[in-house]
Amino acid sequence: MTVELLNQEFENNRGNLKSFLVRITASVADAEDIAQDTYIKAVEKLSSFRGESTLKTWFFTIASNLAKDNLRAQKRWTENVTDITKAAALADKQFFQEAMNIRMTSTQGQFEAKEHIAFCFTCISKSLPLEQQLCLFLKEVYEFKVSEIATILDTTEAMVKYYLHTGRSKMMGIFDGRCALISKNGVCHQCSELNGIFNPKQNTQQELMKIEMVKEAEKGDKEHLFDLRMEVLRGIDPFKSSAAELQLHHLEHNRMVMEKYERKNAD
Amino acid sequence: MITTSAKAQTGKAVTVKTTFSRETSVSIDIKADASIVWALLTKASDYPRWNSTVTSIEGTIALDQKILLKSKLDAKRTFKLKVKEFEPEKKLVWGDGQGNRVYTITNKGNGEVTFSMTEKIGGLMFPLYGGMIPSFDQSFEQFASDLKKESETIMNAK
Repeated sequence: MTVELLNQEFENNRGNLKSFLVRITASVADAEDIAQDTYIKAVEKLSSFRGESTLKTWFFTIASNLAKDNLRAQKRWTENVTDITKAAALADKQFFQEAMNIRMTSTQGQFEAKEHIAFCFTCISKSLPLEQQLCLFLKEVYEFKVSEIATILDTTEAMVKYYLHTGRSKMMGIFDGRCALISKNGVCHQCSELNGIFNPKQNTQQELMKIEMVKEAEKGDKEHLFDLRMEVLRGIDPFKSSAAELQLHHLEHNRMVMEKYERKNAD
Repeated sequence: MITTSAKAQTGKAVTVKTTFSRETSVSIDIKADASIVWALLTKASDYPRWNSTVTSIEGTIALDQKILLKSKLDAKRTFKLKVKEFEPEKKLVWGDGQGNRVYTITNKGNGEVTFSMTEKIGGLMFPLYGGMIPSFDQSFEQFASDLKKESETIMNAK
């Protein structure tokens, strides 16, 4: 293995790594720092790479370990994160002014409901235990095999299956109770509300019906709806999509609100 | 009086009664890794999702920790229990002054484990109140069946 080959492979995977890291940490700065530290560690440890896994798996192993170190001291978010952050946003004029400015001026400032679905999943997944969150993203979004995830997280395939099953079940339960897009019990309408604010000329219902998950909602197959939600996430790169700047601005807002919320509740 | 049911590993409960105690046991074979069975048994907040006999467990299932358990068998009561033994992937014991619930996982070596659960209640005053305590048999069988179903579902996932 040469440094040139490593550089080439790292560049091929940098986008996916950053996407994974921002969804795990909910922080643009942390995602960028950890991606860079992953590269540095990979170069430092190149001589110890025996080719027992692919380079992609190896990069994700280093990145996951760094992310775990970064997140270990932080509290997990609560399931109702979107309620807490919505209340904070409504009380913060500057947030909406900044968001509207991005919406009007940025080439990555579009608002699309499917982008918000992905964003929402990122926020709520931070209420899962870290292992469950990591396994869910690695399997369902970044399409690693169970055996590869076991390598990445240095655990057994049995435990990866356990984390996946429990994480998936918990997220399905949360969305069934919260997401009005898929459930009559759903109390959260933020996709529709924000679409009304950012795209006032659109027929929100028509826009939502373009999303496969929403179209399939009436059938009520929770497993299938979860798979369709994951398909939405797989189709979006949070740094490169046409809504990236708007959604990352929103994510930064939510992270700061939740950090403040956790500090307040720790007192 | 001694009551016995069918073979234990099939998930049928067995209750042995004496004047001063009552002991109910159940055993069932589970085709799953011991770590999965153990993880399910020790994640308190997750119980209501897979176990139809438990309404809730509050607290952390770890050695010397106290937990609050609500069961469907006696819906009005909250059992204040202490975790007395905690041997990962092998043995878990919780209980109170009245009795202990013992869970054991025995690796059969062929990708299968035997899960057993026993609870003995009793004491000098047992003859006075024993008759008021409902039978555990059905609840034990349901617990074991739920654990087997959930563990094997997880194990068989792709």
